[in-house]
Amino acid sequence: MLSCAEFLAEFGDYLDNVAEPALRAHLEGHLHECKTCQVIVDSTRKTIQIVTESDSFSFPVANVESMVQQVMARVRQGT
Amino acid sequence: MGHSAAKKNAASGPYSGLAAAYGFIPNLFQAQDKLPHVVDAEERLIQAVLVSEDSLSRSQKESVLQCVARARENAYCMALYGQTGPIIAREADSTLINFTVKLAKYGPWISASDLAGLRSAGFDQLAILEAVATAALGQMLCTLANGLRPPLDSEGGSPESTVLPEVPLPLDWTEPHAPYLAAQPPLAGDLPAYALLREQLGFVPNLFKLQCLSSSLLEAEVGLLESILFPEDHLTRVQKENILLLLSAANLNTYFVAVHSQVLDALGIPIEQSDRVAEDYHQARLSTEEVNLLDELQKFALPLLPSESGTRGQTPGNAPKKPFNAERLRQIGFTDTQVVEAVAMAALANFLNTLQFGLGAVPDFPPRRVFSPKDLYRFPGKARPTCDAVLSADPDADLVARVQNGESDAFEELVRRHTRRLVGTLGGILGDMDEARDATQEVFLKAFEHMGRFQGRSKFSTWLTSIAINTGTEILRKRRPSESLEEEDDTGFRPLQIQSWAKNPEQMFAASQMDALVRQAVLGLPQKYRVAVLLRDINQFSTEDAAAALNLSVPALKARVLRGRLMLRESLAPHFIRSEKADA
Repeated sequence: MLSCAEFLAEFGDYLDNVAEPALRAHLEGHLHECKTCQVIVDSTRKTIQIVTESDSFSFPVANVESMVQQVMARVRQGT
Repeated sequence: MGHSAAKKNAASGPYSGLAAAYGFIPNLFQAQDKLPHVVDAEERLIQAVLVSEDSLSRSQKESVLQCVARARENAYCMALYGQTGPIIAREADSTLINFTVKLAKYGPWISASDLAGLRSAGFDQLAILEAVATAALGQMLCTLANGLRPPLDSEGGSPESTVLPEVPLPLDWTEPHAPYLAAQPPLAGDLPAYALLREQLGFVPNLFKLQCLSSSLLEAEVGLLESILFPEDHLTRVQKENILLLLSAANLNTYFVAVHSQVLDALGIPIEQSDRVAEDYHQARLSTEEVNLLDELQKFALPLLPSESGTRGQTPGNAPKKPFNAERLRQIGFTDTQVVEAVAMAALANFLNTLQFGLGAVPDFPPRRVFSPKDLYRFPGKARPTCDAVLSADPDADLVARVQNGESDAFEELVRRHTRRLVGTLGGILGDMDEARDATQEVFLKAFEHMGRFQGRSKFSTWLTSIAINTGTEILRKRRPSESLEEEDDTGFRPLQIQSWAKNPEQMFAASQMDALVRQAVLGLPQKYRVAVLLRDINQFSTEDAAAALNLSVPALKARVLRGRLMLRESLAPHFIRSEKADA
């Protein structure tokens, strides 16, 4: 039986759904018994979803073309 | 080598640990004064191996060091440890000395029966670990002395004062199938040294698991890796890994050939390239300078049986016939510091290889080749567990080729394709979108200027992102000189928020509020975790591309992403903890 610390050190691939079957079974064995790690897995998955879907650092599409022209002007200036 | 520095104050100077260990500061360490962090790490290793007396006595350890020096015929180390002969006060000491000589001269031939002999003579697990670590330290010091050629210490003894016992030439060689120490826990997640290994490599190699009996030794060894192998101040990480790979192959160490091939693969070097470096680096696609570097460093391979030397390909006979030529390396452009660092890498390789021979660590994943004294042969290809994908075709390759052929207008489409992602990445690093926009322009100009150097080993987008990360980090350093990608605490992270979250947390706030929460949480992460999360979760890079952009192994990248996600979860939790209102 894994400890919680060991579970937390190993569950990255499980979150990304790429864990090898043996590791997955090992981790799920722990999850079945451990309410705390169930909460951590559920809330970490929700964290990933929130972060992935946010526009916190997005650059508006409308501003792209002016940026392209500014960069190319400096490129041509230097060549 | 450049070791003209005046001797440091032995009692209270920066190397006072060395002074305490030897009674003076040996010239060997002063010869490395261009790399003080390396000397610090060596000093800590010497303290852990030689000075601390846990199971073996100091005099027993010094006898081991004398035997290694004599086996390597290294005059400097023979003098350093040669003030008295090997201590053979008991029958058990004789067993220890014979084991040491075999490990020093014929490392690949060490077998379980040699270890059984030590146990029969009364040596416990810790004593065996200490004996092997001391012999490995001896190999490391001999390699350093061969490369740096310090003058004999006036405080040392005579190089001729030790007598080596006769050890018969080994005849039979068997591939080890199980470690020689039974001290391996199934998972040991809480030692700081293991945490750092997980961070850098993504896993704890079996060799280090076997040493869990001595946390001080483990920490000193991992500190050595942290000071010599991981930094890229002088030689690059790939150059260093190639040195370790070459010497491990020349030493017939299958375990470390597998480790370093795997690490190089994760760094973006195809496995076939590492195969060529291990077999015949002249056939590998290396620059002339790198070939010359390996030409010199392969001279540090540990001596093996004369009769087997012909099977070792690039490694000449029993002892190096030509001495290491530092001047040749300087003439082709390597700096003094790079040369010292290269010698330190060779010493590290021999240290690690000897540890593995003595402890019998089994490979962490299936090796592509087994290196034996008799033959080299291929294993059928098997999946390697720490690299879960191959590089896919680069969608920018055609445009890149046109730019490299002088068609600068083709660069416009590359800028168009990558602007949003780069501004987002730099916004996440710098925390200011206006500053990120300016920095993105600088990144594109740098990329255009250095387009000729892009060789297609990674995707263009990966290369561009690595330029962006470096540019962002430079700006941050100017703003906050103390912050860098590497300075965060690597000790274990424990989640504190363990209450359930609401069923649909994304519906609890308006989009703009949610964006602000995420921005604040991401910007609150230590930088190395922030960048990993930015690349993986916000920019949607594959694990492999994100690892390549950060010049990390895939396992190390995964470890950073996981830590970053857990820290983000911790930071966001107070906003999303389940309540009746939230789940209504």
